[in-house]
Amino acid sequence: MFNAYYLQVLVVVGINTILALGLNLITGITGQLSLGHAAFMSIGAYTSAILSLKYQLPFAVVLLSGAFMAAFFGIILGFPTLRLSGDYLAITTLGFAEITKVVLLNMESAGKALGLAGIPQKANVYNVYVLVIVVVFALIRLINSRVGRAFQAIREDEIAAEATGIPITRYKIMAFAIGSFLAGLGGGLYAHYLTYINPTDFGFLKSIEILNMVVLGGMGSIPGSVLGALILTVVPEMLRFVQDYRMLFYGVVLIFLMIFRPNGLLGGVSLTKMLSTRKRRNLETNN
Amino acid sequence: MKGKKLGGIFLIAVLLIGLISGCSSQPSENGSTGDTIKIGFLGAKTGNVATYGINTLKGMKLAAEEINNAGGVLGKKIEIIEADNRGDRTEIANIMQKFITKDKVVAVIGDPTTGGTKVAAPIAQSNQVVLLSAGAAGEGVVEIGDYIFRNTLLDSVAAPITAKYVIEELKWDKAALVTSLNNDFSVGLSKIFAKAIKELGGEIVIEESIQDGDTDFSAQVTKIKEANPEVIIFTGYYTEAALFLQEARRQGLEAKMVAGDGCLSPDLIKLGGDAVEGSFVYCGFSPDQPTAETQKFIEAVKGKYNEEPDMFVAQGYDAVKILAAAMEKANSIDPKVFRDALAQTKNFPGVSGVTTFRENREPIKSPVYLLTVKDGKFTLQAKLPVKLEQ
Amino acid sequence: MFLQQLINGITLGSTYALIALGYTMVYGIIQLINFAHGEVYMVGAFTGLIFVNMFGANIALAILGAMICCMLLGVLIERIAYRPLQGSSRLSALISAIGVSIFLSTLVVLIRGPQTTSYPQMFKIVLYQVGPAKISNLQILIMIISAILMIALHLIVQKTKVGKAMRACAQDQDAARLMGISVEKIISLTFALGSALAAAGGVLVGIYFNAVFPTMGMMAGMKAFSAAVLGGIGSIPGAVLGGLFLGIAEVFGVAYLSSSYRDAIAFSILILVLLIKPTGLLGKPIQKKV
Repeated sequence: MFNAYYLQVLVVVGINTILALGLNLITGITGQLSLGHAAFMSIGAYTSAILSLKYQLPFAVVLLSGAFMAAFFGIILGFPTLRLSGDYLAITTLGFAEITKVVLLNMESAGKALGLAGIPQKANVYNVYVLVIVVVFALIRLINSRVGRAFQAIREDEIAAEATGIPITRYKIMAFAIGSFLAGLGGGLYAHYLTYINPTDFGFLKSIEILNMVVLGGMGSIPGSVLGALILTVVPEMLRFVQDYRMLFYGVVLIFLMIFRPNGLLGGVSLTKMLSTRKRRNLETNN
Repeated sequence: MKGKKLGGIFLIAVLLIGLISGCSSQPSENGSTGDTIKIGFLGAKTGNVATYGINTLKGMKLAAEEINNAGGVLGKKIEIIEADNRGDRTEIANIMQKFITKDKVVAVIGDPTTGGTKVAAPIAQSNQVVLLSAGAAGEGVVEIGDYIFRNTLLDSVAAPITAKYVIEELKWDKAALVTSLNNDFSVGLSKIFAKAIKELGGEIVIEESIQDGDTDFSAQVTKIKEANPEVIIFTGYYTEAALFLQEARRQGLEAKMVAGDGCLSPDLIKLGGDAVEGSFVYCGFSPDQPTAETQKFIEAVKGKYNEEPDMFVAQGYDAVKILAAAMEKANSIDPKVFRDALAQTKNFPGVSGVTTFRENREPIKSPVYLLTVKDGKFTLQAKLPVKLEQ
Repeated sequence: MFLQQLINGITLGSTYALIALGYTMVYGIIQLINFAHGEVYMVGAFTGLIFVNMFGANIALAILGAMICCMLLGVLIERIAYRPLQGSSRLSALISAIGVSIFLSTLVVLIRGPQTTSYPQMFKIVLYQVGPAKISNLQILIMIISAILMIALHLIVQKTKVGKAMRACAQDQDAARLMGISVEKIISLTFALGSALAAAGGVLVGIYFNAVFPTMGMMAGMKAFSAAVLGGIGSIPGAVLGGLFLGIAEVFGVAYLSSSYRDAIAFSILILVLLIKPTGLLGKPIQKKV
């Protein structure tokens, strides 16, 4: 049952999960709409790929370098722009993504439109899923920490959050940095799985694809992002049997899912909450 | 509200059932034992690069139909397995794995873009399935492994001799070089043209960039007009070329265009009209003086699709025929066996040119034909012989 | 060269402005980034082409026909993909809009294939010499039609009763409902008007650049959306100004910097403007409520 094709799709699901979790932290948990997640992914992918190709550094090192580079750019972009609100922030992230793409298309060391080929295939189903598990647990810890509550406070009401003494700009930048870090990590895995990257892989559509996963799974919900990544990676593959009508169905599925589950499949569901309500219920029955 | 919830649950249930059934569905019949020969088509049918994928597929289907009507290959029918990759490279990897593990194809034709081929090639190589790209003209494709072939006119061969003709015969030595930034074919070709022109003593007076999918070229044209070149070397594809030249004529820039075989399409003339008159395009065959094969092919495409073939249709058609010939010769449809026969393909009389595979599996098509647009038609300007040691 | 580039920029900018108007109108009333708008523009260009090819319509009839068809399409999209989502999060509506956008562009590819087609030449192109630059009658026509449509829209919104109702909905939907305004009808109408403008834009751009293709909505939509935000989203004069600004910035970026960085320059300017004026050129500062 686990032939190469399913393994392939499974790895892509894993990579997409990491990407979606990163965006979920920025958009779902902290409430800052980003339309440029693919840009951070491309920064991670290119940094790690160039390090791999030029200096043959170990996989763990290049992966982390890519992720940190993406986080660094996240902070750089975050500083001036995070005082913008809502859709104005969205458009700057979109603009940043386009700028990144054009810069990569002009960069000699990134191979311009020819892309980078022959990247060693280091990512596999094991290391991808180990990372997925690490990221999921780290994020759960983060969300239930003081920092995570600050993120959610910012999402719910910026002014109230500020009034209670949360330095909102600092926390927003922090969320942006961590989200970008995860995007960079996903990008590095992507590069070392497909073995070839090209600036046009990381366009607007890619950002939208990741956003779809987050919203479909349920904003702010970590199991939701995992489910969203799973569904939106597997559904297009499943729909192959409808041949040419595949993307037509994909569009319809998006619309209907949103109509029937406007808050996403697992909107408002979090693992810890599920556990704690069960505990409480147990207590009640015991009494 | 309740209805909505039920609907949601229903939807999730359907998706989950699909998921499970999708995973447990039986792999289909093995291609090498059944009575069909399965060849995968790798290309985009939707999205930005769909034109090239769809046209390649048209050529492939036509060739398969002709072969099957004539009794097939080794008594077996050719079956083309289609999948749409939207030009997305993750999907290309997914599709390659699906072709190999689920459909059990013996060969894959595609992807029309160099980048896509570079994603697909390592997968084909490690599974020992033949990948024959009809369109990947950039560098570093066949080097990936000995199961990787391509059937294109190599730019590194054709562009320098075209540049030589432009400078020495047409006496145009002040060139404007226009590159499509997000098109790998164009970026690669521009490099070759720039080098060749410099070596031949010509001068590139201005370099401008466009992007595939752009429609507004007014700013670039105004700049080029200022630089006053004698010729515009355009390395992108035909859609942008036609629109670019229209804008040029609108602003009174009259220099003629020289372009690669990415511009060989009836759509160049259909879209460009008078503006493309006098343009030069190099390619591997001449629709003006067709061989009997080419003539038959052009008629067949007109009959089946009601349009004239472009380069992608011709290459897709040839790719299937070349594979079929190799299978016949090897008397086997096992890729491990017919790969060797394929590598020895010599002087194959295809419709996109006479093809020979060199030892490194790079194709040679000789001579290179330089066409010009005259009275709304591609006509032969010159035959440029290829030196084989290149 | 400067004058020629300015003319190039204004022509490009007016096409952006036409599409940006639709974004801004819908956004002004229901705060939705209507991602399907670019696809409506694409459908508009194709229906215009059908009118010209099948019925031999002239340019005015083609525009009118495309506008009416797209009005219906806009209303239909609103009914199917947005109305059921009223009251849920804005992002759900955004995803639904993306679904519509994917659906429409795929549908057009399935119906007629992905290749680019051109409008037949509808009238003779005449070039006028303006100082050192050239301007074509087509460019003048595009600017004039864009201006007429924008002024008409402005008059509808500012001077008619319906326009007043629209503005009321934009300010406070509940209050508008209490005043006896049918908010649903007004939203439908907004979609209809926005889509009609997109259709007009589609036909004009199709004729001007001589290229109509199924994926044309994507990039144009993105640029127009940027233009709308640049001008201050929700503001009609802002959309016009933003469109012109973006068009001119792009063309001058190519002219005086480098064509390889065209989009990067345009978007850098966009980000810079937003950093200086966080709500766009003509956007009203948002009063944060506690």
